[in-house]
Amino acid sequence: MFERRLYHHIDWALLTAILALCTLGVIMIYSTTADPTRGNSRLFMTQIYGIVVGLIAMAVVLSIDYRAFTDKSHLIYIGLVGALIYVIFLGSVQMGARRWIGLGSFNLQPSEFSKVVVALVLAKFFGDHRGGVPGWVDLAIAGALTAVPIALIAKEPDLGTAVTIVPVFLAIAYLAGMQMRILGILALALVLAAPVAWKFALKDYQKSRISTFLDPSQDAKGAGYQQIQARITVGSGGLTGKGFMQGTQGQLRFLPVAHNDFIFSVLAEEQGFAGVIVTLGLYLFVILRALEAARLAKDRLGSFLVLGVLASFTFQVVYNVTMSAGLAPVKGLTLPLMSYGGSSMIATLATFGLVLNVRMRRFTN
Amino acid sequence: MSPREDRRRISVRLSVLQYTVIVLFTALAVSFWVLQVVQHQKFEEMAENNHQRTLALRAPRGIVFDRDMQALVMNRHSYSVSIVREHTKDLNHTIRMLALVLNVPEARVREVVDRHRREPTYRPITIVQDATLAQVAAVSARRLDFELPDVMVEEVPTRQYPSDSMAAHLFGYVGEASDAQVAAATDLKSGDIVGQSGIERVYNDYLMGEDGAKRVVVNSVGREIRTLDEVEPVEGHRLQLTIDGDLQKALEDGFKASGFNGASVIMDPNTGEVLAFASVPAYDPNAFAAGIDRATWASLNADELKPLQDRAIQGRYPPGSTFKMAVATAALEEGIVSPDFKVYCPGHAVFFGRSFQCSLPNGRGHGLLDMRQAIEKSCNVYFYTVGNMVGIDKIHKWATLLGLGEKTGIDLPNEVQGLVPSPEWKRERFNEKWYAGETISVSIGQGAVALTPASMAVYISTLANGGTRQTPHLLKAVDDGKGWKDVPPPAPHSVVQLKPDTIQAIRDGLWRVVNVAGTGSNARLNGYDVSGKTGTAQVISLEGGKAAKGKSERDLRDNGWFVFFAPRDNPQISGVVFVEHGGHGGTTAAPIAKHVLETFFAKREGRPLPVLGAKGLPTAPAAGDEPVSPPSGPEPRTEVPGSPVTH
Repeated sequence: MFERRLYHHIDWALLTAILALCTLGVIMIYSTTADPTRGNSRLFMTQIYGIVVGLIAMAVVLSIDYRAFTDKSHLIYIGLVGALIYVIFLGSVQMGARRWIGLGSFNLQPSEFSKVVVALVLAKFFGDHRGGVPGWVDLAIAGALTAVPIALIAKEPDLGTAVTIVPVFLAIAYLAGMQMRILGILALALVLAAPVAWKFALKDYQKSRISTFLDPSQDAKGAGYQQIQARITVGSGGLTGKGFMQGTQGQLRFLPVAHNDFIFSVLAEEQGFAGVIVTLGLYLFVILRALEAARLAKDRLGSFLVLGVLASFTFQVVYNVTMSAGLAPVKGLTLPLMSYGGSSMIATLATFGLVLNVRMRRFTN
Repeated sequence: MSPREDRRRISVRLSVLQYTVIVLFTALAVSFWVLQVVQHQKFEEMAENNHQRTLALRAPRGIVFDRDMQALVMNRHSYSVSIVREHTKDLNHTIRMLALVLNVPEARVREVVDRHRREPTYRPITIVQDATLAQVAAVSARRLDFELPDVMVEEVPTRQYPSDSMAAHLFGYVGEASDAQVAAATDLKSGDIVGQSGIERVYNDYLMGEDGAKRVVVNSVGREIRTLDEVEPVEGHRLQLTIDGDLQKALEDGFKASGFNGASVIMDPNTGEVLAFASVPAYDPNAFAAGIDRATWASLNADELKPLQDRAIQGRYPPGSTFKMAVATAALEEGIVSPDFKVYCPGHAVFFGRSFQCSLPNGRGHGLLDMRQAIEKSCNVYFYTVGNMVGIDKIHKWATLLGLGEKTGIDLPNEVQGLVPSPEWKRERFNEKWYAGETISVSIGQGAVALTPASMAVYISTLANGGTRQTPHLLKAVDDGKGWKDVPPPAPHSVVQLKPDTIQAIRDGLWRVVNVAGTGSNARLNGYDVSGKTGTAQVISLEGGKAAKGKSERDLRDNGWFVFFAPRDNPQISGVVFVEHGGHGGTTAAPIAKHVLETFFAKREGRPLPVLGAKGLPTAPAAGDEPVSPPSGPEPRTEVPGSPVTH
């Protein structure tokens, strides 16, 4: 199945950049959690296990032609919806949210895999409409396919992850030739829906997050606290940073979940602007390189698939980095490839398995 | 649309996305540049304020020693629990939680916090001073669970006074500086502990010391991680007092054994150094050392026995017969009589149509007496007669010269002035003229005469040393950390040139009081020529009698006095013992003085100090002790308050 000549078409540069980011992540997790006063934390080891499992998943994904995945995408999609429903009723509860399926010592978070599954099913859906500009009906069906997992994940509640699925739909629809006029109408509808959502859909803590984002100082001890602390963390890093494990903001826990949502803030604090530029450069390289794979793809299906998963990835990276600098409302959105989290790591590496897969098989029939 | 066009469109749209991503990342890089490089300084400062905290290290107050370098007032470690609001997210929650943990009413915690609300948030607000171990343990446990992140437990030095309230009024007590005190002194800040009374207050500047500071790294919940630097606190200056701890103890033991309240000041008549100083009942200054609680404060204030009042310098009492030496001095110095001037005492005498009784019971008389004998026997008739001859103006003049009716200038706060009446005083005070009959009462230390025990000590010391009115003082030396330096004693207030005859006659009389057949035999110490004078003064006045209704019999008993010095020639020690409602001074005051004198001489000669046994003080009634001296007959209604009245 895995032909030897394909091996030569693997994008080693992309893989190297991804592994570099994973390594940076492990280093920062070590720095923020290995507090000598509280006993060494094993979190960084867990992250390494996650990377190893993720690389295995990547290899597995790589060995199977991506068209085999898209052909089965409707089944995978049904499986995902089933898992999400299972989580809502029977999932294990952590930190007030029901997001996990307990698998012995490891907790699987199905929502992390929803992006790639939605990308598969949408790539298949739009890829089958060869040559045509997608009409309203197509968009409505695709929108519904996207909305179901979003609704289920939002119910958990995990609004952050739910939102990351939206770019998958937008990017694939855009690439499939959706008219700009429709895009404009969708954008307008979103703007008009915002006050309604504010009034009916958003919970109080979500509203307060948004209002404090607009003026953090109005609640400097409460919801605005994290945002102010994030800016202090990043700003105090300076050009060259405070040094490995020398950051005061992350080390002394002024910034919560430093190894997770705010890992980039801590990187900015300890490694300074220099570290930020290197890391941002790596992410930009990964994204542009993946876009290259979309361009090189043998078929529309491949391009859509790559762009779908990439859209979600890019959105998450940009949002998390912006939030890390205290420039966006605080949301539970992790930084893919770097933040602590096994499910996310495995899902992301598997996703890049698909990207490599598409590029690698660009010459096959 | 052909596949080729489709392909082209996809390529174009991918390029759009590509440039969008590049723009976004460039924007991010610029944002980080602004935050990390342009605004770096501002954020670095904020980060430092976040994690660095300066804690005050309380300086211990200076230790107070007695004249033999025996430590009297020391410091001990105590724990105080404070709130630091700097990073508090929910102050109400912290207050509620802390009240619960400390087991104190929430309202009290809130009140303390409200009082300090306007201070900088980094300054700790002390909620509980001298917390119990249980409280400290409870708070520490909650802190580890992050339940009380804004609460701090500090180890602070706290004043430790001797047990048994020893010399409580002398030492005074400390407390948090009041708003007025903070406003008055630039180097004081809210929350500082300062002396509020006694030498703690007078010598606060010496005793206070300089607080140190510690810069520490704290984490987000305020836990100290490590110390960056530390400025050690500087202990306050050490003080050496003129007080003799053994004598002080003897004096207080004497009062305890007697069971009476009162006051006493014991001095070195040649220098004015105060050797012992007591006011009974006392309070426990330790209760104030770490912030007194309301109930204790209220009960101290409401106590009818007024334990907070320093009777030695704030109480004014008619001196009774102890005043007679002032009359004698006036008569001799003015040349009105000689020491050999004799009066016949039939047991009473009539002046201005009124009959004034002598001191012996059943109207018995002393017979023919000269001045020495009159002092010895405390003959009222003799001093009525002499006082009448001298007149109120001269009595006032000489009493004042001897220090009576004036402040002594002792280095203690809030001393009050006594009163030796004069016609001017009466005119100013009551706009009334002086009745000659009042002079008769004044001659035996009754009437409007009201004096502080401290001024009585100066008076007897002046007689003892031959006319130098010393300023009683308590401070002998100061150690500012670089060694002891003697504090020059205050200059004597004044020197009265007394004729040797006068001195000798009065000394002889005082010696006879104790050593011949006088009223002071309870103070006799063989071989030491104790000289002194007893006094027994009525406390009932016209007004007082009415006010006294409902009081116990004991409250109406006479006040007893004993003023003394020893030895008669070249006196080394002098002083006054005042026993409130003690009845006859010879019976209650003299035995206390005797125990002090015995201790003084035993210590000086290296003998074991006397111990008051179970039998307590010797209280044999002194022969010929003067009973109350109520002038009988119609007394003018214009009599001033505080004057005696017959029942």
